[in-house]
Amino acid sequence: MDGTKAKSFVNFTFPTTTDVEFFFASSILAEFSRTGQYVEKRYDIIVVGAGHAGVEACLAASRLGLKTLLVTTNLNRIAYMSCNPSIGGLAKGHMVREVDILGGQMGAAADQSCIQFKRLNSSRGPAVRGSRAQCDKHIYSDLQKAVLKSQPNLVLFESEVKRLLLNGKNCEGVVLQDGSEIHSKAVVITTGTFMNGVMHFGLKQISGGRIGDQASIGLSDQLAHFGFEVKRLKTGTPARLHRDSIDWSKTSPQYGDETFYPFSHASKKNFYLRQVACYLSHTNERTHEIIRANLDKSPMFCGIIEGIGPRYCPSIEDKITRFSERAAHQTFLEPEGLNSDLIYLQGISTSLPEEVQEQFLKTIPGLENVKVVRYGYAVEYDYVEPTQIFHRLETRPIENLFLAGQINGTSGYEEAAAQGFIAGVNAAHKILGREEFILDRDKAYAGVLVDDLVTKGTREPYRMFTSRAEHRLVLREDNTIDRLSEISRKLGIVSVENLDKLSEIILKRQALIQRLEETVIYPKSETNALVESLGSAPLLKPLKLTEFLRRPEVAFSALTKLGFTYENNSDVVDAVEIEVKYSGYIKKQNQIIDQTKRFEQATLPPQIDFFSIKGLSSEEVDKLTRVKPRTLGQALRISGVNPSALQAIMIYLKGRNELNI
Amino acid sequence: MWNRNEQTICAISTPHGVGGIAVIRVSGSEALSICKRISKSLSKKQSILSHRAYFSEIIDLQSNKVDEAVVTYFAQGKSFTGEEVVEISCHGSRFITQQILDLLIHCGCRMADRGEFTFRAFMNGKLDLVQAESVLSLIESQSQASAKVALRQLEGHVSKEFEFLISDLTWSLAHIEASIDFTEQGVEVVDSRILIEKLKKIELALKKLTTSYQLGRIIKDGIRVALIGEPNVGKSSILNLLLQSDKSIVTPIAGTTRDVVDGEINYQGVKYSISDTAGLRDTQDQVEIIGIDRSRKEAEKADILCFVFDCSEKNWNRSLMLAQQLNNSKKIFLLNKADTIREEDRAALMAKLGEQHKAFFTSALTPQSREGIFAAIKSAVGSLEYLDEAMLSSARQYEQANYSLEMISKSILELELNTGAEFVAMYLKESLISLQKILGQVYDDQIMDRVFKEFCLGK
Repeated sequence: MDGTKAKSFVNFTFPTTTDVEFFFASSILAEFSRTGQYVEKRYDIIVVGAGHAGVEACLAASRLGLKTLLVTTNLNRIAYMSCNPSIGGLAKGHMVREVDILGGQMGAAADQSCIQFKRLNSSRGPAVRGSRAQCDKHIYSDLQKAVLKSQPNLVLFESEVKRLLLNGKNCEGVVLQDGSEIHSKAVVITTGTFMNGVMHFGLKQISGGRIGDQASIGLSDQLAHFGFEVKRLKTGTPARLHRDSIDWSKTSPQYGDETFYPFSHASKKNFYLRQVACYLSHTNERTHEIIRANLDKSPMFCGIIEGIGPRYCPSIEDKITRFSERAAHQTFLEPEGLNSDLIYLQGISTSLPEEVQEQFLKTIPGLENVKVVRYGYAVEYDYVEPTQIFHRLETRPIENLFLAGQINGTSGYEEAAAQGFIAGVNAAHKILGREEFILDRDKAYAGVLVDDLVTKGTREPYRMFTSRAEHRLVLREDNTIDRLSEISRKLGIVSVENLDKLSEIILKRQALIQRLEETVIYPKSETNALVESLGSAPLLKPLKLTEFLRRPEVAFSALTKLGFTYENNSDVVDAVEIEVKYSGYIKKQNQIIDQTKRFEQATLPPQIDFFSIKGLSSEEVDKLTRVKPRTLGQALRISGVNPSALQAIMIYLKGRNELNI
Repeated sequence: MWNRNEQTICAISTPHGVGGIAVIRVSGSEALSICKRISKSLSKKQSILSHRAYFSEIIDLQSNKVDEAVVTYFAQGKSFTGEEVVEISCHGSRFITQQILDLLIHCGCRMADRGEFTFRAFMNGKLDLVQAESVLSLIESQSQASAKVALRQLEGHVSKEFEFLISDLTWSLAHIEASIDFTEQGVEVVDSRILIEKLKKIELALKKLTTSYQLGRIIKDGIRVALIGEPNVGKSSILNLLLQSDKSIVTPIAGTTRDVVDGEINYQGVKYSISDTAGLRDTQDQVEIIGIDRSRKEAEKADILCFVFDCSEKNWNRSLMLAQQLNNSKKIFLLNKADTIREEDRAALMAKLGEQHKAFFTSALTPQSREGIFAAIKSAVGSLEYLDEAMLSSARQYEQANYSLEMISKSILELELNTGAEFVAMYLKESLISLQKILGQVYDDQIMDRVFKEFCLGK
């Protein structure tokens, strides 16, 4: 429980008159939940877990018109930021925008709870810029809960799901803690770190998925029993410190950007909340000495933790061991909210015992007299090897069962939200008899995420990076609407009015590019004088403005000097400038991708028997059989499958006249 | 199920024709069981050991003796192809080998396609692509020099060179990617000057490799030499001298050679293909015009163009102009009939040709000239000492290496212009992939692994 924010939001909904009537009419099928809400015994979709994946999953499903039930063990922790109080970042910010255009909720909540906004990599190229919002985590959670509560077709219910109701290979609902059954046509599991979760404080272990919350026991055992490959992962979180115990003068303030670039297409362009600073400090040799001297008390180092942790987010004990030559590591002190007394100590996650944490924290400048409100700890939890699920996030072994979020081996709120949304849509589409919803790798980071997971699987918590996308140059934040608004229109979650507004922007962008393409400047002396005043080389021949704009030193705003007039709408101009300036590189990237495209288009017969293909190693047969790639291209992306194997598959298919390449 | 790649294959591995001994290779999962049916001692043995040779009678299905042979067994995973292999060393008579092959096919083998043993070795991971290609080169090598190149490839020297480059490229790409994806995490990004320096080293190595390809091809296919010049300067005599035969007709009549006359010779371990051509002159003779046209084409095609002069001829400028019109970057001048002029006239001639031309005095009628001409040609090709360095020998390797080079040069340019790490990364990745394609590897998650190994990251 958070020190500052006591149970501020009790979910207690008394049935209204119509509800009561309905309640009595269906009294055999319904009963009151612990919180006083009643719950029926039959839904279209049940979503288990109300984290960032669960929220998007239940919203997508109910917004598509399906009767949805959200079951969570703690209604006060809806869309809770269990670790860092921020949304977005490189490649992650991209995904938040993608989910938003398609009809997700994370972006809007992040915008409205943002207390510091930054575009990372702003000095680098536009494709690798990413937005990040430090959020007031309580406001964020409250906002999301309010959205869920006002969402038609959606019922929230506090309980623990003990196991799935299975009929052969078909999932038909869930069994709750008290043994009661709820039936549904599909189930989406988004249990995060809660499945068989164990928290480590030094050598002490406590069952649980997050401090103050119990673990979910039973579900993953059932999955394992059914034949799923269930493995362990580990993650960690740093200590939370009391604001008033920190000597801020010894840290340096870090401010956010003045320009807000909201995640959601529906947000306003001004900050919703007061913007605050984060503060930078560093560890030092003394800190490291203390940690080194106590490594034997770290569960990571004495082999108690078997789960694999994220390499990109190592604990402080990991950092000082692996990079012993570094004398200092940076840490950002981030407020958890505007009115919160808690400070999140970014970069210092640890599972050392409390007294050791106390000791080493006090060596960090500014923290000499620090009061620790909650100590850092590591969590170990079960995940399902994601090669066992389809692109639509339905499991291969059990039909109508969908998985999203950390249960699939990912890390991060944004990765979870993207999967939750996709799983929710697909569960709904399956029931509605619509085609499966799959985003291609060249359309969205969310597509890269899912394809990577189901193709390669993961051994460590998977986090999105821009380098994971071979289409990096076209997967930008600025062109999210160009990439996805048509797909969104087909999906039908975002309102037509909003999509029409986006279409208008897209059309304006296209028109502006067209005009730039058609406008030519000539090597006249007055023009060249202007050109040279921009620090650019004089023209030798007539030049289209698109070509002129491609010169690195020429900014879009400079075109006005040359007499080019345009509506100064940053939604239009920024994206056009990037599109034009990038075009040469994008062309090259497309050429590169075209070479492999034929592999992406070569579908493999679903009944292909990899055992009978000569020239495949047993490891390759195993991986191919498990992943069941849809195309040769996907087969090639499976790690451990060599190009010679691809050759063998092609030869095999050719021999059977089944190669459509 | 019928699958060509699963069938056991057989073929004669020694050259076709009559020899003392012929080796028949059988490869595939049924190699041993098939051979047991035609080998008397194998069929009786309880256990047959890998890498062991067994003396055995080869018998037909009626148990009639076909031949006496030595049969060697290689267990699966321990053979050249990676499959179960049996090699039958029988007598080299065409009749006997054919009979054994017929028997093998009757028992379930299939005749191997060209290069299929090597192909299977590649498929089973016994060779990388460069090595697989080198097997073919080795078999086809027609000179000591080309065999040496092929053998070096098979030993993996070339592959090793590429692996070094791949490792360096991976390092560079890891640093670039880290600078993009971990920008806010206090990652110490390598200075772009250091990166440029590193990339330039790779660029240089690739340049060397691609240049060596040209040399590699020459060594494999032989040096193509064209003898070009005005009529009656002694081109045909030089051809005959070099080939040590009377291949070309020699007369004092200008225009005797009307068509291209080719000959090949292996001299001191290097193969030369030499063409004698029709003399260049203005003529109305239809046949001669066609011949001269062919001469020009030959001149362009050749690795080395030997422009032959007649030292005794006074009209130098006309000859020199003709030489300059010919399109070939590797041109040497053979100043023939040198025995007919005095020492001081030779010096004057040399001066006239100027420094930019490589010129050698020869006399087609003196056998000692032969060695000098070969030496001149060889030195014009470039240093054959390259043989001790890694070398490319297939067009495929060359194309990929060349593309890799182009991409790395682009990435250096982007770095120098400071346009954006994502562009540098795009070109570097392309460069890396094409190098991996040379070895038949695929681009994997190496970069991320490298990133995590090298950087201290924290969210």
